[in-house]
Amino acid sequence: MTRTIPLIIGLAIAAFLTIILCTFTGPAGFGFVSTAPGAADIVGGIRLPRVLSAFFIGGSLAVAGAAMQSLFRNPMADPYILGTSSGGALGASLAIVFLGGFFVPIFAWIGAVVAIMIVWAIASRKGVISIETLLLTGIAVSFFFSALVSFLIAVAGQNVHSIIFWLMGGFWNASPYDAILSAAILVPAGALLFFMGRDLNALSLGEETAAHLGIDAARARWIVLGGSTLLVAGAVSIAGSIGFIGLVTPHIVRMLLGPDNRVVIPAAILTGGILLVLSDTLARTFFSDLPVGIITAFIGAPFFIWLIYQRGETR
Amino acid sequence: MNDRSGINAENLRAGYGTEDIVKAVSCTFPEGTFTGIIGPNGSGKTTLLRAFSRVIPSSGILELNGKAVTEYSLPELGMALGFVPQDEGRPFSYTVMQVVLMARYARTSRFAALGPEDFARCHNALDDTGIAHLADRSIRTLSGGEWQRVLIARALAQDTKVLLLDEPTSHLDLSHQSEILSLMSSLAGSGSTIIGVFHDLNLAALYCDRLIMVRQGHLVADGTPAHVLTPERIREVYGADVVSSVHPVTGKTFLMPVSNPGGTNVPDPSRIILVISGGGSGSDLLHLLSRRGYPVAAGILATTDTDYLTARALQIPCEEVPPFSRIPEQSLAAFREALDRVERIILSMHPVGPGNLPVLTMLREADPSRIIIHLPDGREVSSYDFTRGAASAVIQDLHDAGAHCTGTFNGILELLSTPPGAPGSTRSMQQ
Repeated sequence: MTRTIPLIIGLAIAAFLTIILCTFTGPAGFGFVSTAPGAADIVGGIRLPRVLSAFFIGGSLAVAGAAMQSLFRNPMADPYILGTSSGGALGASLAIVFLGGFFVPIFAWIGAVVAIMIVWAIASRKGVISIETLLLTGIAVSFFFSALVSFLIAVAGQNVHSIIFWLMGGFWNASPYDAILSAAILVPAGALLFFMGRDLNALSLGEETAAHLGIDAARARWIVLGGSTLLVAGAVSIAGSIGFIGLVTPHIVRMLLGPDNRVVIPAAILTGGILLVLSDTLARTFFSDLPVGIITAFIGAPFFIWLIYQRGETR
Repeated sequence: MNDRSGINAENLRAGYGTEDIVKAVSCTFPEGTFTGIIGPNGSGKTTLLRAFSRVIPSSGILELNGKAVTEYSLPELGMALGFVPQDEGRPFSYTVMQVVLMARYARTSRFAALGPEDFARCHNALDDTGIAHLADRSIRTLSGGEWQRVLIARALAQDTKVLLLDEPTSHLDLSHQSEILSLMSSLAGSGSTIIGVFHDLNLAALYCDRLIMVRQGHLVADGTPAHVLTPERIREVYGADVVSSVHPVTGKTFLMPVSNPGGTNVPDPSRIILVISGGGSGSDLLHLLSRRGYPVAAGILATTDTDYLTARALQIPCEEVPPFSRIPEQSLAAFREALDRVERIILSMHPVGPGNLPVLTMLREADPSRIIIHLPDGREVSSYDFTRGAASAVIQDLHDAGAHCTGTFNGILELLSTPPGAPGSTRSMQQ
């Protein structure tokens, strides 16, 4: 508890510095003070929205991942566990194939929300939702939607490239609107999950435990699922499905600060934001704007293995 | 109901899905009582406990502290009732203190931090359960018993008048079992209502004021341990043979299982070895002989005698009589008949007083060559004689008439391996 507050403040400062630093980094150059023609346009009009979008979406995925892991009592859960990413992918692919690439974000959002609604509807058939049923239904629905996406890829012809790039996720066309929209989702949903921190702590020991401790487990579950869905569907519609940030970040945070969700939630927002901004800066600066999902997976997967190996246990 | 604390259930039904596991249970748990719920596996004990804590839906009347449970909000319920589960998953590395502090969630706003009194209460709970030294340990590094005590500490820190425990000592060693259950007893003594599910019937009998026995969702017995734990009822409900006794130290009812190999073999009566003993003098011998496969029977024993319990535990047929009273005539008659039927009679020397002298005297009528007197080395017959010489005289006569005498178990086994009537005794009598 004693080192929690300084660490959170340190993370906030690191996040701020990362945003500043990465805004002034890129293939076109431009240092901190540049009067070159076009510098203002590139730094303020292109890089800043992109960096901010990456920060807010990184934070969204990380906080949703942390919440899902506690809710499902499974440190291996990720924010896409209920089919959000495959649903979003299906919506985006449909827009790419049939609408010539217009309305991709809207279709991706609809796809993600529809996927979750289907999972909920199936899992709550008997009036009660069990966490296990939800998990298994999510996996099944994910596979089904992925099959549909694969089918679209198979028949997409010249659009294959667009679909695959979308699937890997990135911030090529990030606009100021994207930055504002992702912040507008993250701030209230993040605050909601922060104030559900105690409920998440109790739920991570079991739903009955939570109930015995005086927590309305059913209500908490709906709020957490609702908030997470909002965050993940928003992230998917803006940047595609970027892997590993939502899975790895909560682990890093718990290693540093312990598993108390009232600490993990704010720390995950900051850490997830920092990691995705750094990954995206790497992608656009040194890898000629590869999809950032490739970078996060490329670094995240070995890092995750190292993490598990180091700890000897998952935290 | 009145405004006293406790649980009152009337016609309570509960279960999972459509099937009722708990079927129309009615009972009251007043304040200041420690009740044990017992019953075989799958009888509905845990389900009953979970119905009380409202984590599974139930129908019928269920009142907590005089108010219908359905009228409680969940935080109110968390302040009125604590629950200790059998076990709980530990996916994340919370510290022990963090887990125990969760007990205080119901009492504080989600927008406020826990106060010093919350921490103080939790520290107390850690002290009471003997795990104060583990406060900062990760729960994932704890042993099963340590974790169980954390769960108990958390329920204590909830500061509730009613405490439900689902096999609270299943992972605890002997000393911690008694520590935790004594703690529960003293909580009940200071006005709490404690209800626990127990598998260990003796432990339940030792600490609970009252036991409730459940079978197939029905309440089949309710009362003091002595009233509930009768061998007949255990056989009926658990399908197990036990002998019931009064614990010599605690004075509480206690049960001993009897190994039941599935039907008693009726041995050839002419091969039986009859052991006459008392006061525990024959226990070791009975064990030895039955382990060696001899068909054994035991002599006239009072039902409070240690040898009687041994005989029951070993499924050895035994002529039994009520304690502290004269041996009834028909028992003596049955015994006399047995003396003529059996192959060998072993008299394991035991204190003889006027009460059991008739048994000894009866041996004069038996064939002395079939009698083996077991007088442990270093002991004298007179040290067993509380009849002013009458018992010693009988022993001397038997010996003179040709009864064998030995001081060791090996001697007995040796004698048993030779046919009866072989000459000579292995030892002379010391008077």
